Amino acid sequence: MFRNDRVLTDKSQRDALLSAHLSVQYGNKPPVLRGVQLDIQHGEVLGLIGQSGSGKSTLAMAILGLIDRKRVDAQGSIFFEGSDLLTLREAALRSLRGRKIALVLQSPLSSLNPALKIRTQLRETWRAHASGSSADCDSTIRKALESVSLPSDDDFLRKYPAQMSVGQAQRVLIAMAVVHRPALLIADEATSALDVITQAEILKLFRELNQNFGMAILYISHDLASVAGICDRVAILHQGEIVEFGNTQKVLTSPSHEYTQRLLAAMPRMPQASFAAKAAAR
Amino acid sequence: MSFWRRVACAVLLLVVAVSLGASSLAPAGYAKQDREAAGAPPSHAHWLGTDEIGRDRFARVLYGTRISLFLAPAAALISTLLAALVGGLAGYLGGAWARAAMAITDLFLSLPWLFLLITVRALLPLNVSPAFSVLVTFLILGLLGWTAAARVLCATGGSLRNTDFVRQARASGIRGTRLFWIHVLPNMKPVLYAQFWISIPAFILSEANLGILGLGVAEPLPSWGSLLKELEGLVSVGEEPWKFVPLLLLVIVVTSFQLVLSKQDEVAA
Amino acid sequence: MVRLGKAIALAAFCLAALTGAALAQGQLRFCLRSEPKTFDPLQVEDDASVAIRYLTGGVLVRLNRQTQAVEPGLATSWKISKDSKQITFKLRSGVSFSDGTPFSAEDVAYTVQQLMDPALHSATGDAFRSGAGKVETKIVSPTEISITFPAPVAGLDRQFDQVAILSAHSPKKEMAVLGPFMVADYKPGTTVLLKRNPNYWKTDEQGRKLPYLDSIQLDIQPNRDVEMLRFKRNEIDLINALDSEYFDKLASTSQNVAHDAGPSLDSEQMWFNEVAKAPIPGYKKNWFRSATFRRAVSQAINRNDLARVVFRGHAQPAVGPVSPANKFWFNSKLKPETCSPDAALKALQKEGFHLENGTLKDMQGNEVVFSIITNSGNKYRERMATMIQEDLQKIGIHVNVVTLDFPALIERMTQTFDYEAILLGLTNVGLDPNEQMNVWLSSSENHQWNPAEKTPETPWEAEIDNLMRAQGSAADPKKRKESFDRVQEIAVEQAPFIYLVNRNALSAISTNVQNASPVILVPQTYWNVERLSLK
Repeated sequence: MFRNDRVLTDKSQRDALLSAHLSVQYGNKPPVLRGVQLDIQHGEVLGLIGQSGSGKSTLAMAILGLIDRKRVDAQGSIFFEGSDLLTLREAALRSLRGRKIALVLQSPLSSLNPALKIRTQLRETWRAHASGSSADCDSTIRKALESVSLPSDDDFLRKYPAQMSVGQAQRVLIAMAVVHRPALLIADEATSALDVITQAEILKLFRELNQNFGMAILYISHDLASVAGICDRVAILHQGEIVEFGNTQKVLTSPSHEYTQRLLAAMPRMPQASFAAKAAAR
Repeated sequence: MSFWRRVACAVLLLVVAVSLGASSLAPAGYAKQDREAAGAPPSHAHWLGTDEIGRDRFARVLYGTRISLFLAPAAALISTLLAALVGGLAGYLGGAWARAAMAITDLFLSLPWLFLLITVRALLPLNVSPAFSVLVTFLILGLLGWTAAARVLCATGGSLRNTDFVRQARASGIRGTRLFWIHVLPNMKPVLYAQFWISIPAFILSEANLGILGLGVAEPLPSWGSLLKELEGLVSVGEEPWKFVPLLLLVIVVTSFQLVLSKQDEVAA
Repeated sequence: MVRLGKAIALAAFCLAALTGAALAQGQLRFCLRSEPKTFDPLQVEDDASVAIRYLTGGVLVRLNRQTQAVEPGLATSWKISKDSKQITFKLRSGVSFSDGTPFSAEDVAYTVQQLMDPALHSATGDAFRSGAGKVETKIVSPTEISITFPAPVAGLDRQFDQVAILSAHSPKKEMAVLGPFMVADYKPGTTVLLKRNPNYWKTDEQGRKLPYLDSIQLDIQPNRDVEMLRFKRNEIDLINALDSEYFDKLASTSQNVAHDAGPSLDSEQMWFNEVAKAPIPGYKKNWFRSATFRRAVSQAINRNDLARVVFRGHAQPAVGPVSPANKFWFNSKLKPETCSPDAALKALQKEGFHLENGTLKDMQGNEVVFSIITNSGNKYRERMATMIQEDLQKIGIHVNVVTLDFPALIERMTQTFDYEAILLGLTNVGLDPNEQMNVWLSSSENHQWNPAEKTPETPWEAEIDNLMRAQGSAADPKKRKESFDRVQEIAVEQAPFIYLVNRNALSAISTNVQNASPVILVPQTYWNVERLSLK
C-alpha cells in the first residue's frame, strides 16, 4: 500500500486511461479488495497477477460495473475518461461496456452462447452500440474476425460454438471484444484454459491488437510467467491488496514483496530466463 | 433430413391437406344429421360411420382436425411463451422477481380452477357463435396451462443468469431485454419444446373437458376432444374400432410434429 | 357374501328338491345407487331409503304399481269424508311386527302423530300438510281409527302408500317392521342385508306365506358401469332405470333380460325465459312471451326423431304435462304435436316474422337467435339440444347450444334468470295432479318460465291457477279430472313448457327371477317383491 502511493502520482492519475482506488466488500464478509490503487495508461498492457480468490475478477467486474451494487459495498472510485464508473448510472455504464471497455473471459466455450450461431453473437455485440444496415454490420464483423486471424466466410459464421476448436472459440470471443475497438480490453484469465501452443498464439494476438489498435489491455492471470512476455507493467494482487506494482522487468528482476518473490521462485527456470530476456529486449 | 423426418413431414402435409379439403372429401358436412343412419357402422356413404345423431364421423374428424390441429398448437404457444416470460424471465432476473414469480405460479396452481372457469363462463354471454367459442376455449387453455413449465423455467433462468456467456454478453453492453430474448431464451429451448409438445395433446383433451363447464367448442362444431369423448363409454376395442380413428390421428400427428421439430432442436443444441 | 348367497340358494334348492315344493326360495341381489341415509321410514328422502322403506315398511294401503289403483294393505277398508279432511281405516287383526309385537290402531295413531310432528320435518308428512292446525287421531277400536286433518287433502288415501307404520311399543323402534322384509345387517358403504319377515301377514292365493324370497342383498354401488358389469356376471339380479344405450347393449347380447315397460311419468322439456326482469334484450322477451312463437318452435321440433335417435326408440313423443303412462289423469284428447316446419313458419309470418336469406327475422329486423342451456354430462340432453338446433335451423332460427354444470344452470334458472331457453327433464314420482301444484301455480317458486308472479301475468296463467286450486279442493275425482284436463289443454295451447319426450322405463331382470313383471312406476322391477322368487 505504502509503495503504491509512491508509484501513483497525481499527474499519472490524471493522464491515465483508467485509475482506480477501490475497496470491495460482499456483505459482512472480509473485504475482497482493500484499498487497491491501480492505473492503466493509454495503450499499455498491464498485467494483474494473483491467485484465485485474490480478488482480481472482482476488480474486472467492478470496472465493468457488473457487480451488484445492492449486495456489494464498493468504496472509492474508478475514473475512466473523466467519469467515476462507480457512480455512473446503469445506462451510461452499459454504453461503455463493449464499446469502450471490453471483456474476454477465461473459458471460451462457456463464454459463447451454445444456442446461437457465431454470426448472431457477433451481430448482437455490434448492435449493442451501433445502428446501421446489416451490410455495415457484416463488414464490421468480418473485419473483427480478420483481425483475430479467423475466417470470415459464411460457412464459418453459421457455426455454433460446439462446432469449433477451443482456440477458434477464444479468437471469436476476442473478435467480439474488439468489434467496437474499445480503449480498454480486460482479459480475465483469457489464456488459462488453453494448451501451451494456443496460449502462445493468443498472447501474440493480444500483443498485435495492442500494437495495431493502440488498445490498452488489462491482462488478468494467476500465472506470472505466461503474461510477463506481453505486459509493460505488472501489478501483483495478494489477499485483496496490491503488493507490488511496476515495470515488468523491474518486478521480475528485483521483487520487493515476499509474495512476489515466492511467485518468482515457483516459476520454471528456463522460461523465466527467456521471458526476462524478451522483456529486456523490448 | 432423415428418412423418418421426411415421412413425418409427408404425414403432416397429408393431414393438413386432407383437413383443408374437407368440404370436397366429405360433402355431407360436419353438422348434417342423417337421422335414418344414427350410430351406423362404416359404409360407402359414411366411411367412418356416423355418430349418435347421425352425423358423418369422417367429416367430423376432418373438420375437427382443422380446428384442433391449428388451435391446440396456438394455445400451446401462448402457454409456452407465458411460461417463458413468467418463469424464465423472473428466474433470470432472480431475487425478488423470482420469488414473486414463484408466488404467482404457486397461487395459480392452488387456485380452484373449477370455480374460476365457472365464473368465466358466467361472465361470457350465452349467445356466442361456435367459432367464437373455439377461440375462447383455446385462449383459456393457453392462459392457464403455463404453470408447471414456469417452475422449471424459473430454475433454468436462475442458472443461466450466472453462466459465462451471459456475463460475457452483459460485458458487451447488450441491453437487458435483448439479452433475455437473444441469449437466455434460446437456452431454455429444451424445456420450452417439452412444454409445447406436452401441451398439445393435453389441451386437445382439456378442450373436451371444458365442455362440462359450457366452455368447450360448441355444437355443432366438432373437435378432436369431442370426438375422443365418444370413446368414454366404449367397453372393448373390438366393438367399434372405427371410433378409434380420432385417437390414432392424434397420436400420429403429435408424433410427426415431434419428429419434424425435435431434429432441428438437436442441431441447435 | 356372494358365496354365502350361492350356498343359501343351493341349500334352498336341495330343500326344495327334497320337499318337492313348487317354488324355490333364495336370495335376491341388486344394487342401491347410493348409501341409504336413514332406516326411519318417516324421515326418508333419498332414493336408497325409499327402496328400503318399500321393502320393509308395512302400509295401510298400497298403490298397485301395475294397475295404479289403491289396494288394501294393513287396512282392509277405508272411508274418506266428503270434505276430504277425514279418513277412517278398518285394520287387519292378528298382525304383528317382525319382532312379535302385536299391531293395533294405537300404532297407526302413534305413526301419524310422529309423522305430523313439525319438529321432525318429515318430507312424507309434507304431503298431508294442506293447512295450519293439528292432526287428530281417534282410536275407535283396536282395529279402527279415524284421522282428521285441519284442511282437505286431495287423494288422501293414496298418500298413505308412503307411510310405513311404526310400532308404538316395540323396544326395537323403527327396526320392528310390518313389511315383507326386515333389515338384518348393514355394512355402511357396502351392503344392506334384508331377511324375510316371518310375521308378514300376507299369503298367496294358495295360502302360502309371503314373501317367497329368504333374503335380499342390496349392494351399495353408485357406478352404473360396475352395476351393469355385475349384472352381466350374474352377480346381481335386477337393474332399475336402465340407460337406453345399456339397454340396447344388453338386449343385443342376452335374450329376455332387458325390459321396456313403455313410457314413464318422466318428461324431457324445454322452456323459454318469460321473466319480465330477466337480463335479456327486450325484443327477445317479446318472442318468448308470444304463445305463437313458442308454439311455432314446438311445432318445428321433430319429437319422433328425438325419441327414435336420441333414445333409440325407448321414449315416446311427449304430449303435455302428464305422461300417457299416468292412466287416470292423462287427458287422452290431447295428441303429440306433429312436426311441421312449414306450419310453424306460416304461424310466425303472421306475427311479422320473415325469412331473409335463410335467417328468420322479427318485425324489427332482429335475427332470431337464442341459446338453449342444458346440464353438461347428460349426453341425451346434449344430443336433443343439437337435434333441436338443426330442426330450428330449418325455419331460420339459429340456436346456440350451451352445456353448463348443474349448479350454474340452476343459478341462472332460479336466481339470475340470465338465460333464454332451458332444456331439462322433470321427474314425476306421483300420479296425482297435486304433485304438480308447485309447477303450475303462478305464485310458485317452481313456476319455471316465470317464477313467483305476484299476480298472474297472463289470463291463461290465472285460469290455470283457478283450475289447479279447484281440483285441489274438490273431493270428487271426476270433477278434479275435468279441471286438470283443462290445465293440460291450456299447457299445450300456450306451450310455456315445450314437452319433448317421455322416456321409457327400462330395466333388466335376470332370467333366474320368476314372477317379475316390470312397470313404469318406482320401484319398477321389484314392486311385487313379495311374489318374486328365484329359479
